[in-house]
Amino acid sequence: MGIVQRKDLSLAERLYLPEVVRGLSITFRKMFEKPMTRQYPEEPLPKTEVTRGQPRLVVKDDGNVACVSCGMCEAACPAYAITIDGGETERPIEREPVRFEIDMLRCILCGFCEEACPKDAIFMSDELELADSSRGALVYDLEMLKRPKAALQKRIDYVYRLNQRWRKSSSTS
Amino acid sequence: MTKITVNGREIEADPKQPLIRACHDAGIDVPMYCYHPGLTPVGSCRICQVEVSQQNQPPRVVAACKTSVAEGMTVQTDAPKAREVRRECLEFLLKNHPLDCPICDKAGECDLQDYSFNEGQGCGRSVEPRRKLHKRRSLGDVIVLDEERCILCSRCVRFCGEVTKKPQLTVSGLGAHSVISTFGDRPLTGNYQGNLADICPVGALTLKKFRFQARVWNLAKTRSTCAECSRGCAITVEVLRGRQVKRFRPRYDPQVNQWWMCDTGRFALGPVQQPLAAAGAVHGGRLAGACVRGPGGLARATVDAALGAAREILGNKPAPLVLGSPFLTVEEGRALQALAAALPVAAGFVAPPPSGLADDLLNTGDPCPNRRGLTELGLRPVEPAAARKALATARAALLVGERVTTLLGADELAGLPAAVRLVVFDTQAHALPGLDVCFGVPTHVEKSGHWVNVGGLRRPLEVALAAPRGVAPLETSLARLAQLLSTAGARS
Repeated sequence: MGIVQRKDLSLAERLYLPEVVRGLSITFRKMFEKPMTRQYPEEPLPKTEVTRGQPRLVVKDDGNVACVSCGMCEAACPAYAITIDGGETERPIEREPVRFEIDMLRCILCGFCEEACPKDAIFMSDELELADSSRGALVYDLEMLKRPKAALQKRIDYVYRLNQRWRKSSSTS
Repeated sequence: MTKITVNGREIEADPKQPLIRACHDAGIDVPMYCYHPGLTPVGSCRICQVEVSQQNQPPRVVAACKTSVAEGMTVQTDAPKAREVRRECLEFLLKNHPLDCPICDKAGECDLQDYSFNEGQGCGRSVEPRRKLHKRRSLGDVIVLDEERCILCSRCVRFCGEVTKKPQLTVSGLGAHSVISTFGDRPLTGNYQGNLADICPVGALTLKKFRFQARVWNLAKTRSTCAECSRGCAITVEVLRGRQVKRFRPRYDPQVNQWWMCDTGRFALGPVQQPLAAAGAVHGGRLAGACVRGPGGLARATVDAALGAAREILGNKPAPLVLGSPFLTVEEGRALQALAAALPVAAGFVAPPPSGLADDLLNTGDPCPNRRGLTELGLRPVEPAAARKALATARAALLVGERVTTLLGADELAGLPAAVRLVVFDTQAHALPGLDVCFGVPTHVEKSGHWVNVGGLRRPLEVALAAPRGVAPLETSLARLAQLLSTAGARS
């Protein structure tokens, strides 16, 4: 514990006026500069490939969702936001999700699902906005989560670049 | 008993059993694919190799499943040489095994996956493509074979030959073209096919009914007893997300069922998967609560009101018939007897005739899981036909327990004389003209208690799934009704 000695104010400080002038000069200078703030939501935020928005499911070029409902993301999800039920298909990849729900109110956008996915089926999109008038409407189902691969391509490329040290080839078919 | 030393620990081993069994019994982990304690060892997978030295000889690496124990044997399961050999075996087993784990139903309970995770290498060295074989070969109504995943351990072949004693499967083809197939591609038959999916160490044999239903790590497992016959096989009830029973699997019980169970019991999921009746509705599903006949027919009522109505009916009519279901636990049987004593009448239980499913392996063909327990309590078994005859002349009856209405025959009960008034404790309220009061009861996976099997062995039931809201334990409801009846009797 130290004792703080309060210094006496100098004459200029006691006069108060010079400091007011100095402060106002900053105010007036900033008035004519380019503003730092944005008119959100009219003016959207800048998005880059690093943006980790809400998770979305990749729809492959053949029109099928890449997810095979293996449950890895469900197991990895620290917020228990994901619920998956699998089903059988006649396609060579025998399994597909019949129910894939992400409770967006629970999702903490951590990206563990993206990391856990062995099939490159779930990626963090650049979609960040989330609003509705009921909680139920914010539990996104399979149809609401599907995105064409092209819409997520930037992020997919980024994740591949990020992981290329230990990842040799794509597993998305 | 023979004394051997495993990893520096001296253990006692049964000389009739192979070395791997001695290690497992002592809690020492030795991997295995082709070995199964219930089947003859063949030593085809070679993954159980351990280092054994005997009588000052240099140590040798041998397959633990094909080696018998000998006095003074020294075993090192983790010797560098043994590990190296096992790693090489694993690499060969994985050479043609597809990377299907995300799709495979076995993932999570797969021996190959577990051991590859623990001891395998990160990536394959093989440059040749994997074998391309049938991914979905149907072997009858129960089992699907994925030939690519098969590691040819031949457990399934031996199961058919040794346990069911009806050889139906074989390894056909030679060398790299070997696959598991049935004789003449005929579908599998028999009541024990489900066990093939259990004993398959990989995901090659899977159950058609369980295929892609759930990931196994999401299933909460509770020990219980099979309800479909009086054998009382030890089972595990597996529940998905606390809501639905997804499968029954056999649990090792040396005195009852060993490792096996029949398909009748395995797939008897219908009675425990019934949906609830709609809110406020009486029929069309399980009754969560109680219902009482009013002027407009059966209507939902509080349990207290329904208990009052049941007391009116049972207390005012002479000598009501008291019949339990064979699914009652010993504890519930006792509560039913106490209730019958308050009336006072003798209680019985519905004992349907043999189902015709009896075989010489497990199924006894007697559909009463607790026949012995209830009989020992003093409840007399009554055939459904005799019970219906007695009901036709009674004025009132109390029918208690899961499936009691269907066992007696819902259609026949509907044809009873109008004078017979029924108080029923069942999972659902059937549309019977004589039904005045009905209470919902828990199913056998929703209650705890004991059944006594055909051999007189007391086997537990545990709560695998919470009963629907509003469904009280049967013992509690019966005790409350008995109390109401005895106080009413004291007053009159």
